[in-house]
Amino acid sequence: MKKSTKLWLIVLLIWSLSPLIWQLYSSFCTTDVLIKPFEIHSNRWTLDNYKQILNADIGFSKYIINSTIVGISTTFLTILIAIPGSYSLARLPVKIHNLTRSLILIAALSPYVLLFLALLEMARKFNLANNLILLSLPYSALSLPLALLLLASAFKDIPKELEEASRIEGLSSFQTVRFILLPLIKPSIASTAILVFLFSWNEYPIALSWLSNPEALTLPVAIARLAGSSIYSVPYGAYAAATVLGSIPLLLIVLIFQRQIVSGLTNGAIKG
Amino acid sequence: MIILLVPSLLLLFLVFGIPFFRYIWLSLHSFSVSTSLIPINNNGANWIRLINDERFWQDVIQTARFAILSVSLEIIIALCIALLLNQSWKGKGLIRAITLLPWALPTTIMALGWRWIFNNPYGPIEQFLSLVNLSELNILSSPYLTWIATVVADVWKTTPFVALILLAGLQTIPNDLYEALYIEGGNARDALLKITIPLLKPYLFISMIFRFSQAFGVFDLIQVMTGGGPAGSTESLALYAYLNAMRFLDFGYSSTIVIGSFIILVVICITSWIILKQTIYLVKQ
Repeated sequence: MKKSTKLWLIVLLIWSLSPLIWQLYSSFCTTDVLIKPFEIHSNRWTLDNYKQILNADIGFSKYIINSTIVGISTTFLTILIAIPGSYSLARLPVKIHNLTRSLILIAALSPYVLLFLALLEMARKFNLANNLILLSLPYSALSLPLALLLLASAFKDIPKELEEASRIEGLSSFQTVRFILLPLIKPSIASTAILVFLFSWNEYPIALSWLSNPEALTLPVAIARLAGSSIYSVPYGAYAAATVLGSIPLLLIVLIFQRQIVSGLTNGAIKG
Repeated sequence: MIILLVPSLLLLFLVFGIPFFRYIWLSLHSFSVSTSLIPINNNGANWIRLINDERFWQDVIQTARFAILSVSLEIIIALCIALLLNQSWKGKGLIRAITLLPWALPTTIMALGWRWIFNNPYGPIEQFLSLVNLSELNILSSPYLTWIATVVADVWKTTPFVALILLAGLQTIPNDLYEALYIEGGNARDALLKITIPLLKPYLFISMIFRFSQAFGVFDLIQVMTGGGPAGSTESLALYAYLNAMRFLDFGYSSTIVIGSFIILVVICITSWIILKQTIYLVKQ
């Protein structure tokens, strides 16, 4: 590796990690240290921030569980709807296929934040608010464009001859999909699932308008509430502890599924 | 066969289609607390109000400047990162994962983090400035600086995403092209300007469109990091629409802002598309 490359890599790592490391550092500091970092303190380090967050009326772990519930149910529902949908999309006649695909592409590109008001009205009208499983309905719809585009391109890559062969061998359409096609697009399903999970774990505006019950908040909403409670209050350590705890699950996901995330994102850009 | 697509299309219509028509309908009605939450046709009064609403137009400018600056910076930095990562060495996967991390974290978490980093007087930046005896910058209470701070936070968060897409583009460029160029006596600058960027154009284009439309709808970051302040200097269109609905409970006007923002986004996209095409045409001549 060239020396300059190494140098730039270090710059890149510092740029990506320093805000996170600063949060980690703050979360273990006592309030005095945070206020006057350059003076000498007898007790610099503390775990109080974490205790405060975890022993609050609603422990922080509750929000992590809530987000996990939403994440898993959304992923499951999206994949369930998107597999047959994308198969059909991939096999449509070219003209209809292109038209449907461009409509889906427009939906994928538009800033979905603007939908919050209409979705809020729906939640009120049909009494869907404050239910984590029902929240996966709008979430699935919002992740569908990406899921459809990714899976349809995977289905399209499979040669038609393979399907014809399995038909000649006497397999029904269902069997063909189940035993021939699905195993072949497994990697695409995996990366789609991870991306959908990340989206629903991190989503904020819709969750903000659908969830009001403090027990049902997802992680991003809970964090934002914490922030809103007192803008200029100094005891920041607890906030930092919350951001660290909230980052750990995602850190693990990124480290474990890095390959799937990258291939999902890049396929989405190239073929979408 | 097409029946398999029906659930998807139904769900998409429910969540993308119906709201669109609902917004248009609502934007033509008074629908707020003062009408006891009963929609009353008001003959386009919302739209006249929108056109004369200085706060709306200020937010248009603020949202546009935020989106333009952050997307341009993101593209430039992402191109550098992609070029850097497009070389092979040991431990590449780990470095890619670390680079990706900011993108994977919830926006609200890091918006809170950045608010602390820019905090006055306790955040690290202000502490550092006071250590070297520079006057306080007061970043998050100056209307001229705060929006730059939000751009920094946004660039930090979304550059990895753009970088990955550009990296995928780089990997489609065959190496022979570069070899041929160097044999012909070209240098690294030629390689970048004559091979890399022209062949990367579709990827640059798709990430630019996607990022611009997302940045134009910026909400999480602004709401948590600055709350739209100071003095409304960072308020975005999405936040203004949100405030109208949730704080002022004026759903009719909020819908008008939503449709108005959408129209402006489409106009900006089409205009820049035409300008881009014209410039490419002129450059080619």
